[in-house]
Amino acid sequence: MRPIVIEAAGVSKSFTIPSVRRDTVREHALDFFRPRPQEKLRVLESVSFELRQGESLGLMGRNGSGKSTLLKIVSGIYPADSGRVDVHAAVTPILELGVGWNPDLDAIDNIELLGTVMGLTLKELRAATREILEFAELEKFARLELRHYSSGMAARLAYAVAFRAVRDVLILDEVFAVGDAGFKERCQEKYRDLHRAGHSMLLVSHEPRTIAAFCDRALLLERGRIVLVGPADAVADRYVELLTEDVAASAR
Amino acid sequence: MVPVATTRVRPGHGLFAGLVWTLIRTDFKTRYHGTIGGFVWALLKPLTMFLVLLAVFSYVFANDAQYKLDLIIGLFLYEFFQEATKAGLLSIRAKGYLLTKARFPSWIVVVTSASNAVITLVLFSLVLVVFLTLTGRAPSAAAIALYAVYQVLFLAIVAGFSLAASVLFMRYRDLNQVWEVVTHAGFFVAPIIYPLGILPERLHAYLYAWPPTPIILFSRSVLIDGRVPSPLAHLLLFAEAAVVLGVGALVYRARAPRVAEEL
Repeated sequence: MRPIVIEAAGVSKSFTIPSVRRDTVREHALDFFRPRPQEKLRVLESVSFELRQGESLGLMGRNGSGKSTLLKIVSGIYPADSGRVDVHAAVTPILELGVGWNPDLDAIDNIELLGTVMGLTLKELRAATREILEFAELEKFARLELRHYSSGMAARLAYAVAFRAVRDVLILDEVFAVGDAGFKERCQEKYRDLHRAGHSMLLVSHEPRTIAAFCDRALLLERGRIVLVGPADAVADRYVELLTEDVAASAR
Repeated sequence: MVPVATTRVRPGHGLFAGLVWTLIRTDFKTRYHGTIGGFVWALLKPLTMFLVLLAVFSYVFANDAQYKLDLIIGLFLYEFFQEATKAGLLSIRAKGYLLTKARFPSWIVVVTSASNAVITLVLFSLVLVVFLTLTGRAPSAAAIALYAVYQVLFLAIVAGFSLAASVLFMRYRDLNQVWEVVTHAGFFVAPIIYPLGILPERLHAYLYAWPPTPIILFSRSVLIDGRVPSPLAHLLLFAEAAVVLGVGALVYRARAPRVAEEL
C-alpha cells in the first residue's frame, strides 16, 4: 500500500460567534466586570481521514459544512482545537485565490509575493514568470497594477502561480470555477498532469461531475462530520441526493 | 485524556529569504509609488528635513548650537520610533492577504514592516555624520559604532513592540488609536524638546523606562558631546531591549497561531 502523506485524526474546530465578541480595548475596559457570554459554533467534529501518496481525494458538502475550514487546518493556516493532523509532505494550498493581492503592485511583483509565500525561491520564480503569465493569458498586463484587474484576471493569475508552486501535495478549493472555458480546460489538464506525475491531491468542489471525474475517492461532510467515505462517484451521487432532499423539504 | 491539537508539517520551505527580500522591495516600491526616482525621494526626505530643521533652528536658537543638534537628533529618532511601531502594529492586518494563502511564519511580515523606517533612519544617520564632519565636529569611529549599536537596540525594541501589537491588534481593533495617543504623549515624555535636567532627579528613572528616552540621550551623548554613558547605563539599556523583545515574542507566540482566523 502507498504511504500516507496526510493523516487527520479526530480533528475538531469551533469558532466564537462574532455577535458576542468584544473587539476593542474600549469594550474590554467598559465591560470588564460583566460576565462574558460564550457562544461557540462547532464547525468540525472529530474528523478523521487519510490521504495516500498519488491519490486524488475529493471533499464534498453543502455550504457551511466545514470544507474550507478543514482545508485550512490541513494546510496549517488554522490550528485545530483538538485532534491531530500529521503532514508528511510539503503542501501547496490553493485557497481563496481570487482575493488577496497588493492592489498597488503590478502582476510581476504580486507573483513574487505570492510565489515566495508558497515556498518558491526568487530564482525559480523569475525563471517561471513568463510561463505563469502565459498560463494566465496575462502577458500583456504584466506591468499593470492589480487594482485595474478584473476578478477573473486576478484569479487566473493566482492559479497560474499556485500550479507552478506545487510541491508534493496540492490542496484545491473550487479550482475549476474560475475563468472561461479555455482556462478551465487548461486547469483541468494541469490537474491531470500533476496527478499522473504522482502528486497527491485534496480537492473541494460543489460540482458532482468534477469530483466523479477527477477523484479516486471522496468524503462527504455534513454539519462538520464525515458522513460518507467511498468511491468518488458514489459520494457525488449521495451529495446530489442530499441537495434534492433539501429542495423537497423546502417545497413542503 | 485531553487530545492535543497539532499540525506537524515537515520542513521543506527553506528560509524564506526570497520572501523577506520581496517584502522589503515591494514595501519600498509602494511607498514611493514605484517611481524611477523612488530612491532619490527616499534619500531626499531625510536630507531636506535635516536642512530645513537646521535652517529654522539656526535662526530660532541662534546662540545655542548644541541645542539645535540635540533637537534634530531627538526629532528624527522619535519619528523613526513612531513610524516603525505604527507599521509594525498594522503589519499583520496589512499583509493578511498573504497569511490566508499558505503556511509561513507571520513574524516575517511583522519584522520586515519596519524596513522603510529603517532606510530613512540609516540615510538620516549618514546625513548627520557627514554634517558633523563638515562642521569640524567629526565623531570618532568608536562613537559611530556605539551609535549604531543603540540603533540596533532601538530596532529590537521596535520589533518586540510590533510582535505583540500586531497580534493584539487583530483582537483589539482600536489599538492603533490608543497607540497613536500614547506616542503623541510619549513625545513629551522623552526629553526631545527639553533637557532632562529640568525635571527632578526622582522622575528620571521613569523617563528612562520609555524606550526612546535612553536611545535619544545616549545617541546625542556619543555623537555630539563625545561622552560615553556608563557601563551600568549600557547594561540597563540592553536589559530594557531584551525585556521588550522577550515579552513581545511571548505575546506573539501565544496569539500568532490563531491570527489567520481573525483576519
